[in-house]
Amino acid sequence: MTATNVPAVSRPRPAPRHPALATARLLRLELRHNAMLWMLPVVFALFWLTTYRKTMAMPPLWNLRAVSLQSGAILDFITPVVGAAAWMGSREARRHTSELISITARPRWARLLATWAATTCWALAGYLVCLAVLYGMTAHQASWGGPLWWPAAVVAASLLAFSALGFTAGALLPSRFTAPLAAIASFFVLALSTQLIVGSQSYWQISPVVAAPWDIGSDASMATFYPYVPDLAMVQVIFPAGLAVALLAALALPRGSGGRRLRAAAAAVTAAGLAAAGTAVALTGTGQLDSQGMIAIPALHDAASDRPIRFTPVCSHTAIPVCLNPAYASYLPVTVTALAPLLSEVTGLPGAPARISQAAAVYRQGTRNSVSIGLAGPAVSGRPPVFRLLLPVQLAGPALTTSQLAAEIRSSTGLGIVSSIVGASRHPSPAQQAVVAVLARVSGLPQPSSPPRSTPSGSRKRAAPSPPAPEPAPGSPAYAAAQRFAVLTPPARRSWLVRHLPALRAGRITLAQLP
Amino acid sequence: MTAREAGHVEAPAERARMARRVQPPAAGVRLVRLVRLYATSRRVPLAVAAIAACAIGLRIALIWPWDSYGALQLPLVFEAGAAAAITATTASRLGEPERVAGRWLPFLRLATVLALTAAAVGALTAAGAGAHLAGGTLDVLRNVTGMTGIGLLCAAALGGGLAWAGPTGYLVVGVYALYTQWHHPALTTPWIWPARPPHDLGAASCAGLVFTVGMAVFAVRGARDRADE
Repeated sequence: MTATNVPAVSRPRPAPRHPALATARLLRLELRHNAMLWMLPVVFALFWLTTYRKTMAMPPLWNLRAVSLQSGAILDFITPVVGAAAWMGSREARRHTSELISITARPRWARLLATWAATTCWALAGYLVCLAVLYGMTAHQASWGGPLWWPAAVVAASLLAFSALGFTAGALLPSRFTAPLAAIASFFVLALSTQLIVGSQSYWQISPVVAAPWDIGSDASMATFYPYVPDLAMVQVIFPAGLAVALLAALALPRGSGGRRLRAAAAAVTAAGLAAAGTAVALTGTGQLDSQGMIAIPALHDAASDRPIRFTPVCSHTAIPVCLNPAYASYLPVTVTALAPLLSEVTGLPGAPARISQAAAVYRQGTRNSVSIGLAGPAVSGRPPVFRLLLPVQLAGPALTTSQLAAEIRSSTGLGIVSSIVGASRHPSPAQQAVVAVLARVSGLPQPSSPPRSTPSGSRKRAAPSPPAPEPAPGSPAYAAAQRFAVLTPPARRSWLVRHLPALRAGRITLAQLP
Repeated sequence: MTAREAGHVEAPAERARMARRVQPPAAGVRLVRLVRLYATSRRVPLAVAAIAACAIGLRIALIWPWDSYGALQLPLVFEAGAAAAITATTASRLGEPERVAGRWLPFLRLATVLALTAAAVGALTAAGAGAHLAGGTLDVLRNVTGMTGIGLLCAAALGGGLAWAGPTGYLVVGVYALYTQWHHPALTTPWIWPARPPHDLGAASCAGLVFTVGMAVFAVRGARDRADE
């Protein structure tokens, strides 16, 4: 029998089809030949220099570090991701292989999607490494609380959008200039769009760089006494996700990207993505700064976020215990050390606080970008009296060294405690002024000064827990009385205070009655 | 007369034209042609357009009332854009074959980058004329040359296609360094020159050194390109 006599097979057996395997193989090939892989060392270097060092220098509070991670990682990743994605998106045109590849079995859109997916996978992998290192170190250092995942999710969703943005730009405008110009343009828009934020109801807060109310910035007080309010983060996830879907679907719209059905479906998906992104922007405009210092968006707000978190405070073993939220446990030694001379001076005096307890800060939006931060209610409450303290780190402001922090605690909390014991309110009597000045001096506190008459410049106002009585002016009768009172021996001064403090607090003691 | 013989019959005018065609063109003409071909192959006209776009963008942006952060960071973004556009011209489609054939390549590379850098500095300075350009002309000169140097070094290391990673990455570092002037500890090393004052000698030296080294490496070695890009 010759070969020609062999009966021909009438129908060849079809090759087994494994679309998932083929897609995985395509993705693996794209992963191996992706520019984003080359960008990862750049990303890691940027992250270490600008975000990791800054964030790890912050106190080990989850809220602070998560917010810092979000803002920093976004700015570190945007230029490499957009640039690499644009470079990959323009690959076919750059290599003049568009026509050659157009005869392959897969539609152009599916091929482009595989390239985009590989670019995004590398970007996300790089981000996950950064996130794991930073959150891992924080978990090792933090005394209380757990990782905040919403800020981390915002970065991940933004990476999808950055990658889609760059990829679409590269695919539609293939040129060697597309990658750098797209990267720099996106950085410009993202980094400097925050200039347009005015107040808590700004639409521009949709920018993923805005991790907390822009007027306050990263603030140690939020999400410690109350849960983290994820409203703003939710819209910041919806917006880039919608944008990414719209951009990727738009790649299928040009003729030749796929069949008619595919293009029709892509048009619908593009519209849906744009609608989602637009809705997110509209929702952002309805946000308001809530009293806990976060942006609350009514349509997304969960009322459970307004209930305070239960915690067991960490307290010092001093005559008057100083109790802090466990998240701030690292601040207990410096707080106790700063207040120790005062506490030993006032322990046992009538009206002295039975405990000093840290309280939550309350935020109020002022005009334009001003926000006031202070205590809700009086500094002293309850029976036995409890002095409610705000740590300086709870008031938005620059980072403080340990010695600066101790000085700030002495001048704000220390003087507040003395004023509350003596009863020196906003309009103290001369005798009260004299006693406050002496107690401050012997306790190592700074001398009280007049409260500032004008609003401090800048966008944030600090509200002192309790305005201390101003120091008597030299030469005044109150000053002379204070000098007399100061030269008393400590037991004599203490004995007089034990007997006369209630009357002094009521304003019934005159300067002449001071010993 | 056969057609073959007819082909050999040449009129005097035709002969003269043929002679002119065989004669090599003058050296000046050849040089101009070489420069034109090199500039076209490196997309220099597009780079000039991109630099002009950066200058126009800076001019428009300077109209906006920026706060202290924005006013300092704004010029750096456009300077990085111009530097990235210059580095994008380093990529060659031919790759190694071109290096073998072209003995004038180092000079062409040098001249092109120098001309584009001068054009970028001039355009950005002109864009800031009459407006408040933070740092002034010296800042533009230092930042553009320094970031171009980084881009040239990246072109030699990564290839012309990905050379933009240098200026764009350095942009992020520069913006962060400017931010730390308000939020200590500040980054004060002269190697991060955008955060230093315009008259700072150390920062200018670092930027100049990076530019010189970048120029030298790029002129001698060229970008690390493959022929298929």
